[in-house]
Amino acid sequence: MFLALKEIKHEKLRYGLIIAMIVMISYLMFVLMGMMLGLANENKAAIDTWDTQTVYLNKNANDNMSQSLITSDQLKDKKLNGHEALVGQAPVVMKKVQGKSLKESAQFIGLNSNQYIAQKNIPLAAGRHAKNSSEIVVDESLKAKGYQLGDKVKLNSSKEQYKIVGFAKNSQLNVAPVVYGRLSTWKTLRGVAPQVVASGIISNQSEGANRFNDLEHYTANQFIQKLPGYSAQNNTFAFMIGFLMVISLVIIAVFLYILTMQKMPNYAVLRAQGIPARYLVGTTIHQAVILMVAGICGGLILTLLTTWLMPMTVALVLDWPLIALMVVVLILLGVIGALLPVRMILKIDPVRALNG
Amino acid sequence: MSVIELKNINKDFGKGISKVQVLRNVNFQADRGELSLILGPSGSGKSTFLTIAGGLQTPTSGTVTVEGQQLEQMTAKERDELRLNKIGFVLQSYNLLPYLNVGDQFALVRKIKKNGNMTEEELRVLLKELGIETLLKHYPDEMSGGQNQRVAIARALYPNPEIVLADEPTAALDSSRVEVVGELLKQMAVQHNKAIVVVTHDLRLRNYADHIYQIMDGKLSQEK
Repeated sequence: MFLALKEIKHEKLRYGLIIAMIVMISYLMFVLMGMMLGLANENKAAIDTWDTQTVYLNKNANDNMSQSLITSDQLKDKKLNGHEALVGQAPVVMKKVQGKSLKESAQFIGLNSNQYIAQKNIPLAAGRHAKNSSEIVVDESLKAKGYQLGDKVKLNSSKEQYKIVGFAKNSQLNVAPVVYGRLSTWKTLRGVAPQVVASGIISNQSEGANRFNDLEHYTANQFIQKLPGYSAQNNTFAFMIGFLMVISLVIIAVFLYILTMQKMPNYAVLRAQGIPARYLVGTTIHQAVILMVAGICGGLILTLLTTWLMPMTVALVLDWPLIALMVVVLILLGVIGALLPVRMILKIDPVRALNG
Repeated sequence: MSVIELKNINKDFGKGISKVQVLRNVNFQADRGELSLILGPSGSGKSTFLTIAGGLQTPTSGTVTVEGQQLEQMTAKERDELRLNKIGFVLQSYNLLPYLNVGDQFALVRKIKKNGNMTEEELRVLLKELGIETLLKHYPDEMSGGQNQRVAIARALYPNPEIVLADEPTAALDSSRVEVVGELLKQMAVQHNKAIVVVTHDLRLRNYADHIYQIMDGKLSQEK
């Protein structure tokens, strides 16, 4: 550690530039990961608040709840238990009736007021739950866009007006705010036949495929992975983060390799003087760890500043356990990167000290 | 018993028709309190002699004994330890780490060799003798060639080695500094009771030597 610190302290510009590069890479990685989690959250937050374990949709819905229609025939008179809820999903455009003209794309979720989601799984940030079909609860993100409790809105081109009586926490689906209302409203919005009961059935318990034989069965994870664009978006971000990890590995390996090459005459002298190779190897690994830790700390500070300065509308979620894991992986990559110059150090011929 | 002894040393490089015999049946010994000078032109085998005497490489045949220990029978790690504890090197270039100031050059030795080094007082006296006691915070690129060479000598003596092997220690110095270094090496041999072996082509160092050897085409001969 002694030699590693002394050299970094003396060669401030050289090592400062390497650290700056690691700062930028780690910053980009943390922000990309934050965006990946933020967008993933906007895709599925409502599903999480429902404690979803199992989902049933129409077999012909192509895994898409807003395209799914379940009829009473498909339920075959099976009664839903206390852990199951009918859910009707429809994309809507919500327009404010009074005051400033506001228009917002949203996902309407129609619920049966007697079932578990409407009763227990809509956490409120403000207001109260809906008491009748002309009342709605909307995602709290709409508050920042100018909607208030008591505002009246229209959904799509219907003439019916709905009053906002509550703001729900963390209620987004398919990267749109959720508007919670009644199943009867959903039926009106979709204009479905009388025998259609919902888009899907959500259960907060793990249930089997044979519970509803005529319906397609999904676990929560299967359902989330099939949300439109969800997997593609996550894979894109994961690829970018992975690629940045490889870049950070290459950067640390190349820089340490070049720096070690420049120091070979000095190291040959030290080897001639009896300084063990393991001490020089330790110095190089310590240097890699110091550079990575300093760079990652800088990246974390920039990430925190970004989340502080960024407007709330930008989806950025910092998951600290995941960040800690990423930090460990980055430091390990730094150590792996240091193995390339370590090979050179182990092969130093101390005779070079005399031959120049 | 001599502190270092080379017996019947031969060193070849290459094989077959490209084989070059760099050292031929070399015999040498040095004792504490003496300065031995090995003179020879470039390519005569001086550096190879020094690398073999210092355990940096092994001879093709013959034996090197340092303080009764045969180098050929030691592992690489044991030879590292021997160099760290018993042998000090003074080299003509890259002798000091450019990113350590003078004080830290000694601190590095302390980090690796915990015991047996000079005491703080002994080091202070040595630095004063060398006239570099005020340079502790200086980096090598802030000092002259002569100052660097004197720091390198102090650095070589700091771990209290029995033998100091010096490779062209006056290469970077002007005439007045050659005298200073010559005096100093002699003083180190006598006052600190070290065996000092200097390989050089600088004839100006003759006056300070107890024994003078000539090396030519790999053959070592002592001047009478």
